[in-house]
Amino acid sequence: MTLTVSTRKRTSSRSLYQIAFAQFRTHPLARFGLLILTVLYLAAVLAGFLSPYSPTEYESGATRVSWAPPTPLHWQSGSGPPGLVVYGIKREVDLLTFRDNFTEDRTQAYPLRFFVHRPEARYRILGLFSSDLHLIGVAAPGKLYLWGTDNLGHDELSRVLYGGQFSLAIGVIAAFISVGLGMLFGGVAGYLGGWVDAVIMRLTEVLTAIPELFLLITLRAIFPVDSNPVVVFYLIIVILGLIGWGGIARVIRSQLLSVREQDYIAAAVSLGANNTRIIGRHMLPNTFSFVIVAMSLIIPGYILLESGLSFLGIGIVEPYASWGSLIRTAQDGGFESINGRPWVLIPGLFIFLAVLGWQFVGDGLRDAFDPRKRS
Amino acid sequence: MLPFLLRRLLQLIPTFLLGTVVLFMIVQAAPGDFLTQLSQNPKISADRIDALRVMYGLDQSGLVQYWRWLTHFLVGNLGLSFSANRPVWEVVAPRLINSLVLVVISTVLTYSLAITIGVFGALRPYSLADRLLSGLAYFGLGIPSFFFALLALYALVVVKQNTGWDLPIGGKTSGALDDPGFFRNAWDVLLHALIPSVILALRGISSESRFIRGQMLEVLGQDYVRTARAKGLGSRAVIYKHAFRNAALPLVAGLGALLPALIGGAGFVEVVFNWPGLTPLLLDALGTQDLYVVVSTTALSTLLYIIGNVISDLALAAVDPRIRYS
Repeated sequence: MTLTVSTRKRTSSRSLYQIAFAQFRTHPLARFGLLILTVLYLAAVLAGFLSPYSPTEYESGATRVSWAPPTPLHWQSGSGPPGLVVYGIKREVDLLTFRDNFTEDRTQAYPLRFFVHRPEARYRILGLFSSDLHLIGVAAPGKLYLWGTDNLGHDELSRVLYGGQFSLAIGVIAAFISVGLGMLFGGVAGYLGGWVDAVIMRLTEVLTAIPELFLLITLRAIFPVDSNPVVVFYLIIVILGLIGWGGIARVIRSQLLSVREQDYIAAAVSLGANNTRIIGRHMLPNTFSFVIVAMSLIIPGYILLESGLSFLGIGIVEPYASWGSLIRTAQDGGFESINGRPWVLIPGLFIFLAVLGWQFVGDGLRDAFDPRKRS
Repeated sequence: MLPFLLRRLLQLIPTFLLGTVVLFMIVQAAPGDFLTQLSQNPKISADRIDALRVMYGLDQSGLVQYWRWLTHFLVGNLGLSFSANRPVWEVVAPRLINSLVLVVISTVLTYSLAITIGVFGALRPYSLADRLLSGLAYFGLGIPSFFFALLALYALVVVKQNTGWDLPIGGKTSGALDDPGFFRNAWDVLLHALIPSVILALRGISSESRFIRGQMLEVLGQDYVRTARAKGLGSRAVIYKHAFRNAALPLVAGLGALLPALIGGAGFVEVVFNWPGLTPLLLDALGTQDLYVVVSTTALSTLLYIIGNVISDLALAAVDPRIRYS
């Protein structure tokens, strides 16, 4: 007697990640968040190309252009080829209020050009390609300040784009550090148990007990306030990573505690797997869905914290700019700054967009991995 | 109940000790100490600095210093503030009270509004009002507190210029009042505290209202709610007596970590509005390496966390009949 194989239609099965990805794609807010993030991160990577000036360029002396308003663009169709045109900027001191008045000098017109080369503003994309090509620019001595300038005369648009590199990168890198530490400590605590578990759990409680801002400021104070700005950049990343691993470690530990009793772990042990293999190959991959969601929800918090630290003056400092330090410059100008020059608050809008984007994506991921919310 | 309390306190003592040790180590890890900046001043001789060092106890090893600080802290002596030359408690207490004023007002605002909005959103899910409120909640979560504070300042100044309506902008009191009575002074402080508290409350309302809404939606879908409705119970009884009591349980459990988060979270707003709270004090103390101010302040907040945790455990036991600490 031969067995006949029934010809059934092959049922397709999808892995957890394929299901989650399909769910994520149907979530409108999550797609919107992803769009925002893509735009912001692309703008950060291509910051050098998109900004007309370098972030540290300014002129001092008689030609300084501090706190200039956004340069208006005009459509010129008179003499010469039609196109967008920028007029020269004249600075006069108003003798009544002692403020600078910036007026347009209509006698000098500089056409807006695309894909200009500016050798004094070279940049590297991702540290690999060096170039001096900029998307927009005007011929010197014309000035193109699309979003105005700050107190020293830096172009605000360039500073915001370059600042995005710092703000966005710090959030992601610090989140990786936190998640790495959390998985390490949570895994060790969950698997080994005993006094190791108790000590690690006390440590996470300590992290919750001390107010976040106080801990951040205290950790930052280990290094002098006027350290090398590059050192400060790495320091902020490490500090942010150090304060956030507690929550992740706790959840991973509890997940491991529940997984530890499962049969397949006993099978692996009886087959002779050592501790590392069991933790790394069997237990930790179960936690990945939580880790992905947790990371996307930690990153907006870190972006806010980093901008807060820079706002207080103990984060990213001159000559580098981050969105928080740009708002600090805005505040240092006093009430007049915010009242008469509202464009200096644009970096705050960018912080808001970045945080919003990550939160939408995080919510979308959380719903995508939630087995109760399948549609 | 009492053995449970004692057990809980015993569990939290190692946390407190570990926290203070970690803090002490961090602050000591900074190079130099308070007297380093004095040594820059040519008018103060090196002998005087050495004498000061012995007087402040900064010449001892870290362990000795920590032990001395701990034994003093436990009897209520928080140490000496070097820059103010006064006991730390005298420097910190008024600042702590100021911060607490902001925290209390914003907490009351947060919970009263968050519960209202959350329950409303759960009762009419996906309606226009619910979507609007959810959108506002996202807005409140995404905007940085200091940025929103600056925007609020901008709006206040514009309002003042256009309508002459004089809302206080910075500081705790208006210096212009001569010899005000207690109530006049309290009213003045309240006005000054209002805007910062509202800004602080915004983030709390955004996150808590979404949380409550989610919890209520989950609870309202349960079978016992359906039974209660089928029984003929009025809507109000079903929602508040049955559904909300269950939905609010995680909220009560989270109260413990609330206090330190609030005190720390008030930081940026205090800086923008020039409110004399804990954070400006801490920033100054860190700049001058005023050791005992930093350590004692943060130790106090750790203590508050421990107390808050015990209170929230007790509250949870009172509200959740399934938990009985015997």
